[in-house]
Amino acid sequence: MEPLLKDPGSPSRETMGRIWRVFVESLNLNLTGEDLSYEAKLDESVGLDSVAVLDFVTALEKEFRITFEPEMLNIDVVRDLKELAAYVDQQVARRQNIPDGQQ
Amino acid sequence: METSNAAATAQPSSGNTTPLVTLNDLLWLIYLYPIRLLAIFLPRWLLYTLGRLSAPIVQFHARNRKARAAPWIAQACGVTPAEALRIAGQSLSGGIYRTLDELLLLRPSSTKMLHCTGVDGNEHLEEAIARGKGVILLVGHFCANRVAVRYLAAQGRPALSVHNQSPANRAGGRFGKEFLQPLAVQLQERANPDQVFIQDPGCVLKIMRRLRSGGLVIVQVDGRGGKKVIDHPFLGVPWRVASGIYEIVRVTDCAVVPMLALGRSSGFRIRFDPMLPVDRAASRETFVSANLPNFLSVVEKQIVEHPQEWRLWNHF
Repeated sequence: MEPLLKDPGSPSRETMGRIWRVFVESLNLNLTGEDLSYEAKLDESVGLDSVAVLDFVTALEKEFRITFEPEMLNIDVVRDLKELAAYVDQQVARRQNIPDGQQ
Repeated sequence: METSNAAATAQPSSGNTTPLVTLNDLLWLIYLYPIRLLAIFLPRWLLYTLGRLSAPIVQFHARNRKARAAPWIAQACGVTPAEALRIAGQSLSGGIYRTLDELLLLRPSSTKMLHCTGVDGNEHLEEAIARGKGVILLVGHFCANRVAVRYLAAQGRPALSVHNQSPANRAGGRFGKEFLQPLAVQLQERANPDQVFIQDPGCVLKIMRRLRSGGLVIVQVDGRGGKKVIDHPFLGVPWRVASGIYEIVRVTDCAVVPMLALGRSSGFRIRFDPMLPVDRAASRETFVSANLPNFLSVVEKQIVEHPQEWRLWNHF
């Protein structure tokens, strides 16, 4: 499938780490003794509670002080950690380029 | 809340062994093949005549479910047992015309066939849209919902419908559940592609996307079950209500407008009520309990006012 983000670029490791932390905290995940990938864990959480993804996205918005554009509110974007991190980086950079008071 | 015997009998019970084929499956088979093919070219009046002719079979087939529903209807609507039984029958007939209307909605020219006799309270919808945070149209399981949604879309107000891809069907056999139900769902999707199923992992994000774009989402708030449910009485009986929608309202800050659609494609009315007050001050933990009773009571009132148009009476 074609990625929704036209030029995803390389996400920073720091962003990916912060997203992972928000993911674990917002969904109250207990990862002790588990070895699941981000995607598998997200699928599992959403399978149990479809609203979980809403908590995760809103927690990301709060953490990075960004707002997801409507077209990026897509499960395929959220499931792909790299694409998600690249998008978050892009939105953070955009926010930083906007002078205060115009955000 | 206390529940009466009527309430208890109205509740779904756990089934034992499901037969391979039931009369319900045969009726659906006739609907999905010969009737669907006839609906491509038959005029509506003739299709409705077929519906009228089939009504005695459907009513007979559902006689036990009607008998179970009658005490519940009598209790919830404050009517006599005889009147309750009549309402159960009318609700069932409404369901027949609803399924026939769905076949009409498959026609390319279907929007021309939608005869809306009036829209009341449009100003309430406009006011809610003007907030700019999207609108959830709160509805019950009324027979005219789908034609109303198609009509609104044709008027430039598309609304994303939220549905259950595999609704409970206690009257169906294994054949019906395996082959006919998926086909019926496919037809519904073709009739209204602007919908999302609660089983879709991206369902919530699709709803959020529509709301953030300032659009409309139509939710049948009286549906039973879901992944995350809350027990709350509804029409005097215990009910398991999906709580996801309340989370969405809390997070998106969207407006909530009750909508009521009555009738069938040959003549229906739509009513929008004033925006519901939402207790936005409630915490994340208390938001559902602070708002759920109010949302449900609005739909309960609609059902009691128009019980013959609500299609879940005979569902259990």
